[in-house]
Amino acid sequence: MKKTSLLLLITVLCLSVVLAACGSNNKTSNTGNTSNEGSSNNATKGENEPKPVKLSILAWNNEKEMKPVIDGFKAKYPHITFDFQFVPPVTDYIAKLQTMLLSDTAPDIFMIAAENRNEIMDGGYALDLTDEPFMSVMLDSNKSMVSKDGRTYAFSQSGWAGGLFYNKELFKEAGITQLPQTWDEFIEACLKLKEIGVIPLYDKMTDITIIHSALFGSNVLSKDPTFDEKLFKGEATFAEGWTEVLTMWKEGLIDNEILTPDMIGMTSDQLMNEFALGKVAMFPGGPWNIGPVEEMNPDLEFEIMSIPGKEPGNNYYNGAPGVGFAVNNKTKNKDEALLFLEYMSTQEGLKQFEQGTGGIITAHGYESEVHPAYEPAYRDGLMASKIYLPMVSWNRHQEALRVQFLVSFQDIAVGKITPEQATASLDNKLKEMDNK
Amino acid sequence: MVKYVRQLQFLLFLLPILAIYSLFTIYPLIKSFFLSFTNFDGYTKAYDFVGLKNYVRIFVDDAITSAISYTLFFTFGKAILVTVLAIPLAMILDQKFLTRNIHRAIFFFPSIPSGLLLAYIWGFILAPISSGVLNTVLRELFNIGPQPWLADPLLAKLSTIVVATWAITGWHAVLYLAFLQSIPKDYYEAASIDGANRLQQIRFITIPLLAPAMTVSVMLLLTGGLKVFEIPFALTKGGPGYETYSITQVIVQRGLSETQYGLASAMSIVFFLIVLAIAVFQVTVMQRREQGLQ
Repeated sequence: MKKTSLLLLITVLCLSVVLAACGSNNKTSNTGNTSNEGSSNNATKGENEPKPVKLSILAWNNEKEMKPVIDGFKAKYPHITFDFQFVPPVTDYIAKLQTMLLSDTAPDIFMIAAENRNEIMDGGYALDLTDEPFMSVMLDSNKSMVSKDGRTYAFSQSGWAGGLFYNKELFKEAGITQLPQTWDEFIEACLKLKEIGVIPLYDKMTDITIIHSALFGSNVLSKDPTFDEKLFKGEATFAEGWTEVLTMWKEGLIDNEILTPDMIGMTSDQLMNEFALGKVAMFPGGPWNIGPVEEMNPDLEFEIMSIPGKEPGNNYYNGAPGVGFAVNNKTKNKDEALLFLEYMSTQEGLKQFEQGTGGIITAHGYESEVHPAYEPAYRDGLMASKIYLPMVSWNRHQEALRVQFLVSFQDIAVGKITPEQATASLDNKLKEMDNK
Repeated sequence: MVKYVRQLQFLLFLLPILAIYSLFTIYPLIKSFFLSFTNFDGYTKAYDFVGLKNYVRIFVDDAITSAISYTLFFTFGKAILVTVLAIPLAMILDQKFLTRNIHRAIFFFPSIPSGLLLAYIWGFILAPISSGVLNTVLRELFNIGPQPWLADPLLAKLSTIVVATWAITGWHAVLYLAFLQSIPKDYYEAASIDGANRLQQIRFITIPLLAPAMTVSVMLLLTGGLKVFEIPFALTKGGPGYETYSITQVIVQRGLSETQYGLASAMSIVFFLIVLAIAVFQVTVMQRREQGLQ
């Protein structure tokens, strides 16, 4: 009995030590904080020296990409340090941020992207930045993605446009002297390439493709820029807007076996590598591909081109504003977080962001220098506002619709369904999501 | 009294793990059950009760119906393949030969890295284009044109099973190996004196005595298979269409990506019940089989 009670006592003691350790840990960290604040408040370091602040940021650009702008900021404001967390886009980032927001552990600065903008803005998680002076740098076309009811909730300073990169030499070999101006000419060019034994085009088809988005822009938006608005007000349907696009895509690319279902499993890197090695004449890509392609094959002559529509002159790219930097509505370091955004809006900050991320800056008063191979997309796409991305333009349930879209066109590619069935399934999905 | 105190002591030692288990398994399960009756979207804490609406929606969701059939196909395909391969492999690894330990390590190794990593590497091997490793080998050696390993609905399903089997067979072989080594050698000696040949020894001694190992291995394979996520996701992202969507991928998709936590919770609860039913059924049947064999 004595022995057992001793054992019991030891167990209880062990447990209490563990619990006490947890408790005291909390306490020490708390006192740690207060003493920190205390010391700066009591001006142990001098009255003028601002108190040290640690800004937390959950970034979707990795540390290497953000380093120049963060270093520049720290040089200017040495009292501010960063707790930098990187989560790769898109799904992982959104899931992580969502968990943090729900549990009140979100960082001071986070990103608003096309995929989470509605939830963040509706949930009141981001600070209203509309009246901040630095927002004047932001282009109106960048504001649309991160605004609701005329209020803007994030600072976005970049944009991108994607199109088709083509191999100039292979085009010449196939006798294509002029870039296609209509969809029919484009298909003709693909077939010419096929004739000389060159694979015309690779597309991995694991997301709404650049071709789909741009073709929708060329065919539908060029005539009715408000189509998506009507779609989400119930005044238009996917069937009306997208059936023609999907039919053209199927008849042109799938039926002619320019795109084949076996491309579905490819990765972005594979597409790019095959293009850089000259094994395929075209591949869909964006500014992020130019560096790696040049590195792999410095002699390759290539350029980006738009996707032509049914009628000439309606060429579109796919693209969108870059993600926006938002300030947590509940942050304790509001002033410092705003300072950081303000710094990013300066010429110096923009330059460093451009250097680090390799992105294209679309801000008032800033001249972005783009690679010559990318010039057409910058000039005729980004700056002419001839870009379209469903995820940014669709008003709600983007993710559910995106998956439905991608599953549907993969099913078209393997011959399981028709374009009409695909667009009907999208209309159904929207209805289902609205009635959930 | 003494007995009571003694039991209490043991129970006390269980407390910490019970606390952790409750916090990370029981509580989320109960919470999911609760959320499955709501329209919680994962962002706003204000949500309404919607009754059984989410449960009704599961059965009209074409992604989930496709996912259930793929997941079952994957689970049973993998369980059968692994069992058929792991038992002979265990017997070979039980023999005495010079590189025995190295071979054991080699076969065990694929089960160590994460499935995601393995699947990405296999993605290069199975790449559907002509420059894919497997397609290059087939072309060079047998002059066979490129095969859409990950893009054809049936081939994609089979590819995921093959990769999963490759990754885990060694691990299960080691499990069988442990049980093999516990079979007393006397049985084999007695059998050979009685004139039993090697095949008869396997048929009448090894296989019956491996039954407990098989119960454990198959249960792990079935529950693990039903929970599969990373290998199909990394290889095919669920495509083409919904062909290789696993149940867990649909849950993640509906819950996290489409912010329909209520629906995803309802799916999780139904999924939990399916796994539970299959596991209980399998263990009961196989334990009965064990008793029958022994």
